[in-house]
Formats: sequence, C-alpha cells, structure tokens
Amino acid sequence: MNHYHSSFTEILRHATLIVGGLVIILPFYIMLSYSFKSPHEIESNTGGFFGKQEVMVDEYCVKLGNTRKDCETTPIKFNYGNAFKKAPLLRYLINGIIVTLSIFFIQVLVALPAAYALAKLRWWGRDLVFSMVLFGLLIPVHAIALPLYIMLAKVGLINTYAALIVPWTISVFGIFLMHQFFKTVPDDLVDAARLDGMSEFSIVWRVMLPTAIPALLAFAIFSVVAHWNDYFWPRIVITGNHDLFTPPLGLREFRGGADGSDWGPLMATATVIVTPLIVAFLLAQKKFIEGITLSGMK
Amino acid sequence: MPEATLSTVSRTSPSRNLMGKRPLFGQQHQTAAMWLSAPAIILMLVLLVIPILVAVFLSFTSYGLGGSMEWVGLENYKRIFSHSSYQKMLSSTLTYVLIVVPISTLLGLGAALLINSLRFGKDIYKTIYFLPVMASLLAMAIVWEFTLHPTIGVINDTLQQGCNSVFWYPFLSGEWYGNNPATSWYGESCNSNFPLWFGDKNYAIWTISFIGIWQSFGFNMMLYLAGLTSVQRELYNAAEMDGVNSAWSRFHLVTWPMLGPTTVFVITITMIRSFQIFDTVEAITHGGPAKSTYMMLYAIYEKSVQQNIIGLGSAITVLFLLMVMGLTVLQRWFIDRKVHYS
Repeated sequence: MNHYHSSFTEILRHATLIVGGLVIILPFYIMLSYSFKSPHEIESNTGGFFGKQEVMVDEYCVKLGNTRKDCETTPIKFNYGNAFKKAPLLRYLINGIIVTLSIFFIQVLVALPAAYALAKLRWWGRDLVFSMVLFGLLIPVHAIALPLYIMLAKVGLINTYAALIVPWTISVFGIFLMHQFFKTVPDDLVDAARLDGMSEFSIVWRVMLPTAIPALLAFAIFSVVAHWNDYFWPRIVITGNHDLFTPPLGLREFRGGADGSDWGPLMATATVIVTPLIVAFLLAQKKFIEGITLSGMK
Repeated sequence: MPEATLSTVSRTSPSRNLMGKRPLFGQQHQTAAMWLSAPAIILMLVLLVIPILVAVFLSFTSYGLGGSMEWVGLENYKRIFSHSSYQKMLSSTLTYVLIVVPISTLLGLGAALLINSLRFGKDIYKTIYFLPVMASLLAMAIVWEFTLHPTIGVINDTLQQGCNSVFWYPFLSGEWYGNNPATSWYGESCNSNFPLWFGDKNYAIWTISFIGIWQSFGFNMMLYLAGLTSVQRELYNAAEMDGVNSAWSRFHLVTWPMLGPTTVFVITITMIRSFQIFDTVEAITHGGPAKSTYMMLYAIYEKSVQQNIIGLGSAITVLFLLMVMGLTVLQRWFIDRKVHYS
C-alpha cells in the first residue's frame, strides 16, 4: 500500500517537474526550430520542429542579379548563411572571445597578488585595503556605469576595446574569493618557498597559483559567462562601431533591422550566440554550477 | 639561482628552516605587499570609489557631455520625486522586483524540494532548469518576443486554435464548472483578440516579470539544493522519533528553519539582480507602453547616454546605488544575527 502511494507521489512529482521543464525549454525549442525553417513556415507555424527543408529561392540573391536557379537554397542554409553574411557574426564572436578572455586574465593578474598580500603578508594598511574590498562587494558595477561612461568619454576611450574591458579589470569579488582560498593554504608552504629564496612575486605565481587552480577555474566560469552574456555595458560604450560589437550587441542590431524574412536568420544568430556556453555547460555541469553559484558565497 | 640547488640547501640545513618559520618582518614585507596590491588598490580607487564620488557630485549639477555645468542643488532629486515619469520609473522598478523576487524564490524552493525528493532523474531536471541561467538574457528575450508575438507567435496561435476546440474552449474558459464562457478571460479573448503581451500596459510588466522569473529561478533552485544537502539526515530521524510524521510538518519544523540562511541569501541576491533589469526592457518594450516597464537602469541609459542629461541620470544612479547597497547591508545584518539556528 505504502509502496503504491510513494510511487504515485513520485509520478506526480515527475509530472510537475516535466511541465515546468517544458516552459523552460520552450524558447530554446522555438529558437532552434525557427533557425531551421523557411520564412513561410515561420509565419504560418507549420513544418514541425525541423521544417520541411524544401528548396527555396533567396530573393535578395535574385535582386543582386543572379538567376533564380543559382539562388536556390534550403531554409537551414539560408538562415545560417545569412546570419554570418548579413551581419559580421564571426567578427562579433571573435570580439566576444577577445573581451571575455582579456577581462578574465587581467582580473586574475590584478586579484591574485592582492589576495596573496591580504591573506599571507603582514603589513601596514592591510585592514584598510581589505575593508575597501568588502565595500566594493556592495557595489554592482552596472550601477556605476554612468560615471564610468563619463570618465571613459573624457579620456576618449568610448568605442574601443579598452572601454569594454577596463571597468571589469578589478574584480573585488575575485580578490575576496582568492583571499578566502589562500587563507586555507598552510603558511609552511609559503615559508618553505621563501627559504628557497623565491621572491614574493614568484611565490604568487609559482606556489600560490598552482594551488588555486580549482578555485580559479570556478572563477573563470563565473567571469566568462557573465561577460559573454553582458549586454548593458557594451550597449553603453559601443555606440555604432560595428567592428567592436560583442555577440549580444550584434544580435540586437540584427533584431533592430529585422523584417519578416529575417526571422529565420535572426534565430540562427541567437542560436550561434547561445550555443557555446550551453554546450560547455552540458559538458562540464558540475564545474559550471559551482562557478555560477560562486556568487552565492559572497 | 636555480631552484633545485636552493631547495637542497634548505632541506639539509634545519637551522635555517627554523628561522624561516617566522614570517618576514618590517620593511621587506611592507614593500612586497604594497607592490603586490598596488594595481588592485589603484583600480579600486579609480573604478569604484571615484565613480561613486563623481556620480554624487554630478547629481547636484545640470551637466551634459560637451556642455556646461551648473550647480543646481537638489533640483534633480526633486524632479525625480515630483515628475510623473520618474515616479512611474520608481513604481515599475519596485513592482517588477516585488513580482519577481517572491515567485522566483518560491519556485526555486519548490523545484529544489521536488528534485531532492525524487528517486531517479534528479540530474536531468537540474540541467534543464539551469539552462536559462547560462543563456544570454538578451538573446532569450528576443526569442520570447517572437514566441509571444501577436501574429506569428506560438503562444497566441495555440491559444487561438483552442477557441475552436470542443475540449480546450470549455476547459480554459471555465465553462466546465458552470462559468459563463463569454465573460471569462479566455472567452473574451477568443471573441476579440489575444493580448499584445508586450504592447498592452496591463500585461507588459507581467510579461517582462515572467521572463525575469523564467530566467532566474533555476539559479535559486541550485542554491536551495546546496542548502538542502547541508540539512543533516539525523535531524529528520530525530524529528520522526518526536512524532513528526507528515511531510508538511517535516518541512515546517526541520527543513524550512535549516534553510533560513539560504533563503535570506536567495531573496537578497534575487532582489539585487532584479533591480538591475535592463536587457528585456531595452530590447522589447523600451520602457513602454505608457512607461509601465520604465526601469531604473534603463532610465539611466536613456537619460544619460541617449539624451545626454547626465545630471539627472546621476541622481537616478545615486538612488539606485543607495537601494542596492542598502539591500546588501541588510542581508549581511540578517545573516549575522537573525537567521542563525542554534
């Protein structure tokens, strides 16, 4: 009896979670599905998930003076082809990689030595600096975007890579996180390195860094995901120079000019932008969950 | 000197090792520490402290890039609290936060409890529910915009088809329990039109909030799942010995109090994040219709970057900062003294 009862509740739980899961999946399904379909299938909501992939004619290609025969294509090729042709999507993706990686490397370069000094050295001013770090944790960078924007405008850095990167170079959260981690590293390890004649500088990079790899990996995921997906800051400091667009900016620009026939390519662009992180997440779920919920330790 | 020789030396001379146990003193430590933390200190000053001072200063002026600067005192703040469009900004931001935070927290808790109690299939749900957290909110906002599109959107299309169905129409319009279908929400929509989810001021804030909840509750679920693993088995056993048998009292007496710190954290982080809503508003509604989705961060962007009214934007920035920082301080205070189960 009890057994049947618990199986029933188990089924009920699954049913509830499946309904919730469908709502979660819906936009992903739509995005992927539309990226495969022809404009006609999108407008009439037909063709199932994958579309019929019937041969269609690219009207824009005909306008360019090609014969209709030459302009025949399938919806999937049309959508993804246009995503990369009509907008320089590849350029946006490369920008995204440049910006996210630069941010992460500079954050580590700045935060790691500071965290070491705060956790392992005794010096005048340490408490003051640490309270500055704690104070910094209170401020979301997006909230001070306006003064940062003005300062960057004053030094003429608007519409440069630097503008995309500079405000994020200091991660007080990174300092705090590494500080907490370094606290757990035994002092003996540091002392032994000093005895070996290593300078404080090389202790940071050759002794502390290797011990901190797992924490750094989690921080890397945290940082890269946040900045790959960030839209607010790039929107503010990049005002029209397409060569500097990050993936979300590029997608937004595409959306701005999209008319009926562009929905397929628009969804293809969205798919291309969203896929890298989703795939990485599916491959290394534990690490990603750890990294993203890191802010949970603040 | 090469490392290898040095480490041999230290290993073979214990006396040095003993001396080395004591940390470096004075000048040496001081200089090294200053050098190591100098970049961080400078960047913190330039990128965190100075901007706040700049914002506070500019909020008392009528500054615009390339224009003149005049001291206007509290004028900008007065405008925010007296002008109807800024009052709408404050109220729609608060409305958004007050819709998203409780629902997203409860859904996160609910999903975590359900998943935690499953016998199989836990991981697949965790993965699915976490997907929106990973995806670019801007991209997904655009996808939602199409999903909820009045003519080609799947949602309205499906709802429309249900109007002619002998099963769905009575079901959704409430006819099956004796409601008059023509006066129900569904029946009326069938007769006229289904809502413009983003274009109707009665719906827009709810639709935007829905996207916010959709995107954020998987994150809360993960935090709750982590919190649940720290609730010890023994507590449940002890409770059972004390006669706690129903699932509800188990939750009420053991799980919920043990999740106190997690809940405080979930609520504050969701609040801080929902205060910062921007992507969905900028991409879809532009603050409209009738300013019903005019959020603070979007207002800062619109006033300052698009219209170059920086004094006013700075005043909004200062208010925004006070709110978010206040929340974080409150959170720390709560975690430190209130929710400690002992």
